[in-house]
Amino acid sequence: METVFISELKPLLDAVAEQMDLYVPKKSGEYYVYVKYDPSSKKAVEFNNIRTCTPIKEFLFPLCELAAVFPEPVEPEEIKLFAVFGLKDCDLRSIEILDKVFLEDEFEDPFYVARRGKMFIISSDCFEPRGSCCCTLFGGQSYAEKGFDLNLAKVKNGFIVEAGSDKGKEFLQKHKDIFVEVPPEALTERDSIRARTQKQLEENNAEYKLDAPVNEIMENSPDSDVFDIESQKCVECQACTRVCPTCHCFYLYDIKQKDYFSKMKMWDSCMRLAYAEVAGGANPRKVLGDRIKHRLMHKFSFFFDRYGIDMCVGCGRCIDADSHKMDIRVVLRRLSEELKDKGKKKAKVAK
Amino acid sequence: MNHNLYQPVNGKIVDIIDESPTIKTFVLVPEEKFKFATGQFVELTLPAVGEAPFTPSSSPADTEKMEITIMKAGRVTNLLHQCKKGQKVGIRGPFGNGYPIDDFVGKQIYIVGGGVGLAPIRSLFLTLVDRIKDFKSVVCRFGAKTPDDFIYKKTLFGSWQKIAGVDMKLTVDEANDGWKGNVGVVTNILAAEDVNIKNAVAVVCGPPIMMKYTTLKLLEFGFGGENIYLSMEKNMSCGIGKCGHCMIGKYYVCKDGPVFIYEQIKQYPDIWD
Repeated sequence: METVFISELKPLLDAVAEQMDLYVPKKSGEYYVYVKYDPSSKKAVEFNNIRTCTPIKEFLFPLCELAAVFPEPVEPEEIKLFAVFGLKDCDLRSIEILDKVFLEDEFEDPFYVARRGKMFIISSDCFEPRGSCCCTLFGGQSYAEKGFDLNLAKVKNGFIVEAGSDKGKEFLQKHKDIFVEVPPEALTERDSIRARTQKQLEENNAEYKLDAPVNEIMENSPDSDVFDIESQKCVECQACTRVCPTCHCFYLYDIKQKDYFSKMKMWDSCMRLAYAEVAGGANPRKVLGDRIKHRLMHKFSFFFDRYGIDMCVGCGRCIDADSHKMDIRVVLRRLSEELKDKGKKKAKVAK
Repeated sequence: MNHNLYQPVNGKIVDIIDESPTIKTFVLVPEEKFKFATGQFVELTLPAVGEAPFTPSSSPADTEKMEITIMKAGRVTNLLHQCKKGQKVGIRGPFGNGYPIDDFVGKQIYIVGGGVGLAPIRSLFLTLVDRIKDFKSVVCRFGAKTPDDFIYKKTLFGSWQKIAGVDMKLTVDEANDGWKGNVGVVTNILAAEDVNIKNAVAVVCGPPIMMKYTTLKLLEFGFGGENIYLSMEKNMSCGIGKCGHCMIGKYYVCKDGPVFIYEQIKQYPDIWD
């Protein structure tokens, strides 16, 4: 049993919540955020048509956590099974990226590894992309094909539920009573919704299409003025790096607790002025434009070089978060145009 | 749980040696076996204060204790300087890649150091001296602001100069009354005729500006970028190539360095900043 149908969300979420803590999206203003699911609540369960506002990394790499205790190490709290509902394809791809750094790298992060092993992922198809959604520019799409335990596709009369892992298959098997067979017309409907959303995403982003692979554009733009020009809009709030589901810089700091000392691990941002500063004051990226360039180089060149994938999923959270509307698509598009012009000039000289 | 690389090993400061007005060497005894290769670095934690990266200045052959030479430069190092013998510390690491000593066999090793940059160099020097016959020669060209600012004065002005196979010259930016040696920046005492360019490797460690001009001079002498070893100082924090603070271009200094060959990193304009 790999694909089934259910007409309502609640029985499915209740069945998950019986086994583990479950986090679900809740509308807050114009965005969705995660809250803990309460099976006793009488309120209708919300289905997020698009990604949440907050990044999924929070569940695997929390804003702040205890990394070590001194002088006597203690075993960290045991991580219990937990489930997150409503991830989109961009979210799943962001987990794939974080896995490369914290799980598959030569040095593991034991805290990430522990949480990752306990996470049950229930993704769902995206069908109301925002103007900022740009996954299609970065190799993504509106629905997931891998990286989930269960995936839901919303159709007129319910939800198509697909298992994407052994854990997912086991779940469907165990709770087979709440599911029915998929009506054939539901699959047709799902496919047409998927195609429609995909088309919409492509249309929304047509004007930002790049003339060359993004890695090539970044690697050939080290001296571009675009970074300094764009930096004039930036107020250094660092929101782009906080909401980014793939940014994973962190900061280790030591504090005194009641009767022990602890080393904490907290999100940091490469957009911060003192981020790369060393004792004595030397700082390779004192200029804001250089920090913006470094961030984009990391995403589209350095990370690709090391791990073979880009460090951006096109979720558009950074575009939503930027108070002065710096848009990563516009920056890349400008670099792309600049490079194309350079190429043209070169060709002219060659003639 | 898997091994937690953020957890320090406990250690104790058993001795403190004043090297210069701003530099002290701390002799540490880790509570657990702690091995490192020369040129690798450790993160030293002062409990409740913070940690900072240092390359040990002692020989890796001494597995009982470890020496770290520290200049007062920021918050953590200022507080480390106030520590007394018996102070407990934490040590994480060792991290990164050190000097590939085996690749140096049969060659002339041309070491240029300045200021507190002599700390990692001391560890390398002691390692080389242990098997000095394996190398063609060890040429040392060291500089400091004033004679007082030299660290390891006792051995530097004494026994190290007398080791067969070692050719050492020192210089200071500003002399004092007793100083009879060279005066001027370290690049002034680098001479092409001292270098056996066909069979030499260079090792450079010191303040960024000194590393920059030394590297340029070495290139002028005919050194290939692949034969110049630079010990880079960046804001290494996690030590395991994740937190991002120490990045030079695509490299994590903590994991891919701290020792780099110039050829690897020359494309990045900000390496000396």
